[in-house]
Amino acid sequence: MKLLTCPLNGPRNISEFTYGGEYHPMPDHQQVAAREWAEHVFFHDNAAGVVIEWWCHSASSYWFLAERNTISDQILRTFPADEIFTQRIDFEPAPEPTINATPTAGESQ
Amino acid sequence: MSSTTPNQIATNALRRSQLYRRHMAMSAAFEALTDSTVVSCYGTGEGELKQAQHLGLADLSTLPRAGFKGLGTPDWAAGQGLQLPVQPNRANLQDDGTLVARLSQTELLLASNLDGLSESIANISLGSQLPERVYSLPRSDSHSWLVLCGSQAAATLSKVCGVDLRPHKFANGEVAQTSIAKINGVLVRNDLGETLSYSIFSDSSSIEFLWDSLLDAMAEFEGTAVGIQALRDC
Amino acid sequence: MSHTSRLSPPFGSLIDRQQPIHFRFEKRNYEGFAGDNIASALAANQQWLLSRSFKYHRPRGVLTMAGQDANSMIQLPSDPNALADRVAISDGLEVMGQNYSGSLNRDSGALLGLFSRFLPVGFYYKAFFKPRGIWEKWAPLIRKKAGLGVINQDYQSEYYDKQYQFYDVAVIGAGPAGLSAALQAAKTGAEVLLVDENASLGGSLNYSRLDAEGIAARELRQQLVAEVEASANITAMTSATCNGWFADNWLPIICGKRLYKVRAKQTILCVGSLEQQAVFHNNDLPGVIMSSAAQRLMHLYGVRPGKTAVVVTGNNEGYATALDLLDAGVQVKAIVDLRQQPEYNEIAQYALSKGLEVKTGYAVYAANKDRSGLHLGSVEVREIISQGVCAASGETIACDTLCMSVGYTPTYQLICQGGGQLSYDDDSSMFTLTNCPDNCQIAGSVNSHWQLGDVIADAQRAAIIATNELGLSTQALPDAITLSQHQGPNFGWPIFAHPKGKEFVDFDEDLQIADIINATRDGYEHVQLVKRYSTCGMGPSQGRHSALATARLVAAATNKTVAQTGVTTARPPFSAEHLAHSAGRSFYPAQRSNMHYRHLEAGAQMLQAGAWYRPAYYGTTNQRESSINNEVKNVRNNVGLVDVSTLGGLEVRGPDAAEFLNRFYTFAFLKQPVGKARYALLTNEAGVVIDDGVACRFSEQHYYVTATTGGVGNVYQSMLKWNAQWRLDVDIANVTSAYSAVNIAGPNARKVLAKLCSDIDLGSEAFPYMGVREGTVAGIAARVIRVGFVGELGYEVHIPQHCGEALWDALIDAGAEFSIKPFGIEAQRILRLEKGHIIIGQDTDAMSNPTEVNMAWAIAKKKPFFVGGRSIQELNKAPLKRCQVGFVVNDLNAPIPLESHLVLDGDRMTGRVTSCNYSPTLNKPLGLAFVEPDQAEAGSHFKIKSSGGVMVDAMVVELPFYDPETQRQEL
Repeated sequence: MKLLTCPLNGPRNISEFTYGGEYHPMPDHQQVAAREWAEHVFFHDNAAGVVIEWWCHSASSYWFLAERNTISDQILRTFPADEIFTQRIDFEPAPEPTINATPTAGESQ
Repeated sequence: MSSTTPNQIATNALRRSQLYRRHMAMSAAFEALTDSTVVSCYGTGEGELKQAQHLGLADLSTLPRAGFKGLGTPDWAAGQGLQLPVQPNRANLQDDGTLVARLSQTELLLASNLDGLSESIANISLGSQLPERVYSLPRSDSHSWLVLCGSQAAATLSKVCGVDLRPHKFANGEVAQTSIAKINGVLVRNDLGETLSYSIFSDSSSIEFLWDSLLDAMAEFEGTAVGIQALRDC
Repeated sequence: MSHTSRLSPPFGSLIDRQQPIHFRFEKRNYEGFAGDNIASALAANQQWLLSRSFKYHRPRGVLTMAGQDANSMIQLPSDPNALADRVAISDGLEVMGQNYSGSLNRDSGALLGLFSRFLPVGFYYKAFFKPRGIWEKWAPLIRKKAGLGVINQDYQSEYYDKQYQFYDVAVIGAGPAGLSAALQAAKTGAEVLLVDENASLGGSLNYSRLDAEGIAARELRQQLVAEVEASANITAMTSATCNGWFADNWLPIICGKRLYKVRAKQTILCVGSLEQQAVFHNNDLPGVIMSSAAQRLMHLYGVRPGKTAVVVTGNNEGYATALDLLDAGVQVKAIVDLRQQPEYNEIAQYALSKGLEVKTGYAVYAANKDRSGLHLGSVEVREIISQGVCAASGETIACDTLCMSVGYTPTYQLICQGGGQLSYDDDSSMFTLTNCPDNCQIAGSVNSHWQLGDVIADAQRAAIIATNELGLSTQALPDAITLSQHQGPNFGWPIFAHPKGKEFVDFDEDLQIADIINATRDGYEHVQLVKRYSTCGMGPSQGRHSALATARLVAAATNKTVAQTGVTTARPPFSAEHLAHSAGRSFYPAQRSNMHYRHLEAGAQMLQAGAWYRPAYYGTTNQRESSINNEVKNVRNNVGLVDVSTLGGLEVRGPDAAEFLNRFYTFAFLKQPVGKARYALLTNEAGVVIDDGVACRFSEQHYYVTATTGGVGNVYQSMLKWNAQWRLDVDIANVTSAYSAVNIAGPNARKVLAKLCSDIDLGSEAFPYMGVREGTVAGIAARVIRVGFVGELGYEVHIPQHCGEALWDALIDAGAEFSIKPFGIEAQRILRLEKGHIIIGQDTDAMSNPTEVNMAWAIAKKKPFFVGGRSIQELNKAPLKRCQVGFVVNDLNAPIPLESHLVLDGDRMTGRVTSCNYSPTLNKPLGLAFVEPDQAEAGSHFKIKSSGGVMVDAMVVELPFYDPETQRQEL
């Protein structure tokens, strides 16, 4: 069993953790084309190399991020989420719904 | 409207543990502590101190606990006179015997002394309105509290927990938030005098399962349940 | 029988001659000594035959005496395939041979051997391929013939368990390398675990001959073991097997009935080497044994391997064995040295000085049976002409023992599991292992060192690397030990084909030279394919003695080098383990509400939903239907009480509490009034419905949100993950277990509750549907929520967990005058179905979007953002593919459809049932189903393929089925 070092709780058996998927920034949900949104939701890079992943230490419900090399399965570094998310995120008010919205470039593909 | 935490509740009956029936079946003698009952000893209690020093399991689930978290918690708690552990996953004892475990920078778990009279908890719980960014947690109800003590406690834990909790690797006052018999919990080493002792706080609805699992793991080392009196005598 | 084969001390270091032990083999009485295993005790009694082989039922006996081969598998009363050379004897132990028909000595199944040329490699694939179905006919017969041991189905379960252990350094293997590595590491204060699968520390020092006189090994062993025993920080575990290597030095170590899950910071594998057999005609006859097995028999168990012996060797170790045999009073007829130009060491020269007959450049071409047909009687020795080819004739030497000393493979299994690379040098016929995993060293013979001095220096060096890495030492690292330039112990080609075959490459699977060659000719040229086609290496010993010979044969047959051919992948476990070791002492958490025992007392049938025990219904199992129906009717007409403590509870508090919920759930929460509850539907980023509950606003900055029993853990984690990104000023706490809760429901609910609750105005105006209040019920502080999941006037009462039983008692007591009755989750499912309320996870699946399940009303359209919002927006642009409808079955004689029964339109599958029950209120079956949109109109009909394939007519009706004006819950 692999070890994973939680920034709060230290090294633990990886069975103490929940995998939270790859980290990738969410695109602007109001502006982005449908295709790009679908890629954000459904497609993952699954890169061969170093990726950033979400992990949660189940017993303390603590979420953090890990840099992992998917080729060697080596975990290079773990760090608190506030290293990336440094400030409050707010969303623009929703635009007024338009009738018969024209498809965006992404949708026509 | 302020939120009500279960700690603030006066019940119309003496509080009893969900293990009550198991205790009864083991000929427990109970004692009353303020608004609750706790097992004083099993049977006549003879030899229970020795048992606790060797390997004992006690149910302290009816003793007062409290929890607080939020960004404002450390400053506020210090202002209430609590001596806080500096680092997360450390615990200490207040002057009145109250155990204070720091689970993260901004979260505290308080557990009363063995007399069930914790001034620290009483004071804090009476403080009617919590300041901004301090949130109470109903630790008396959300979590059970078992104490596993004695020289064989670490060996017992090695059968149910994947963290190295041996006394020379896990100092008095250290805290592990981990999985114990596949149940998430907070495990605090808080020795009783010279006696090695671990407090285990875990999901209250799993208490029967955890109790049974620990007694089963203890059997090989001839461990048994002990009452609170044996802990006090340690 | 007398112990004619027993030798005097110092032979027999493991046995205690003062402690005789009596056991039975094949229903005959035998005597051995404490310290004996089954094989050694039987050998002492001249019983060499242990079992029959897997395929041809050939007689088999001791081969390695080290628990590494399948030849010594025997049957214990409740333990098939036990290893006779591993299991200690005990008084009264009943041992049987395996794999025979009739008797072990006269096995009618052995006739199969005569037909072996009709059982070529791949026989089963070829013979039972056609016609279709023929295999099913033959399989039982073949399996009976080819099976191993027999499972005892009356097995009494035993207590197996597991334990975690932690060490700085784990040393696997306690031979000269392991002992030296452990001692070196321990000097730095490291906590060291030393593991050996044998009963005694010392490995080869227990039995091999390191000097001419044969005393050095035992002296060194004594010294090293004494030092280890004196080291307080070395824990030595014997008769313990490290059965795998897993990431970050996670080592499963099996000892007795316990599986130790060891985490070591550093591991040093000193696992040694496995002696290999020579491959020649009848090389599997009992009496043909590894030279190390002969040495183990003599030195460990004081058993003389035979009266007359021949040693076939490709190295100097064979000469050492010959000397041991002489010491034990065995007549050594000849040393057959495969080498053309032996490079003798001091021991070999000493043996030569004894005047033994040595046939250099010769091979054992065949072994012949004695008169019993069950044991070695003589060997045929021929001169080697070229690689694997012998002269046309030779001489026959009578002997009852043949010791084989032709080379070793490193015990590479654990290292290769960790990603290590095994390579082979075709010139020296030696292996090397490289690319060990991080924090893992190898040392000793597994690292290609054979001279004792090199072995010890290599082990000490490995230990220094480990302790330096741990920061326990800062020692200068000695140079790596260079590989010895002397002739190595491996002879390149100890394989001699015979016109009659039976030169076994793999004893486990009865595979001969021709089987391997033919596999390559059938087109399976890669060693991995040869393995799968021929089953070579797939038997119980997992290729320990066949991998090298197979690689050599495949290499020659495919014109490659052995290095190019390689060996097959090694996977855990290293050796067979009892399922009990994995199964023993597992934890299956169970959660119980505070009212659990009240349910039991009331006669509830409990079921486990996730980890929670919940009352299914109250009553005996033979009155299931009527009990459930009565519970339903009592709620509809009177008042019922259900334990909903398992419901998830989440506190969302702080200045951004409303903003958080507004982003997390689909509905709008910013303007939700204090004192009100609002339905909370959760979708994931893909817009799929994943949970629901109600959000109760107790103050501007305080929400109490319920979630489904099974979903709350994920909902909580998901909330925290989102807020790790949003960083809203809010605190989220999972308080599920902190609250006991009941739902009191039915027309009389208010009357019952009013008796216990004086500080909340329960009037329908003051406390309307979807209102939330705080107050006391039966003197217990309570959160009271007016909800309508079951479609009647109802109150959920949430109170501190420990008060659950007290509240239950108070409500049952107060409700007695109204004939209040508890109801279980079966009744609750019917009640909610009558109201058309879906259960997430039952009526939804991994694709269900809100529109499909008629939840479009729960989507706030003007919010800046909510999880799943954009995806729902996109999904709604496309035409609906399916929708959920309510249906009734009007034919009361039709079999009631069940969940997941298909909705069919002709042959076309157009949907499925998600819930269906007989409704005691409407007196007919009703349910929910996914159907195509054109089937969804009220009044239209569709067909369900119900139990037994019966097509049932279903009619779509408007939801809810019951109380369409929703008046009852708002009373």
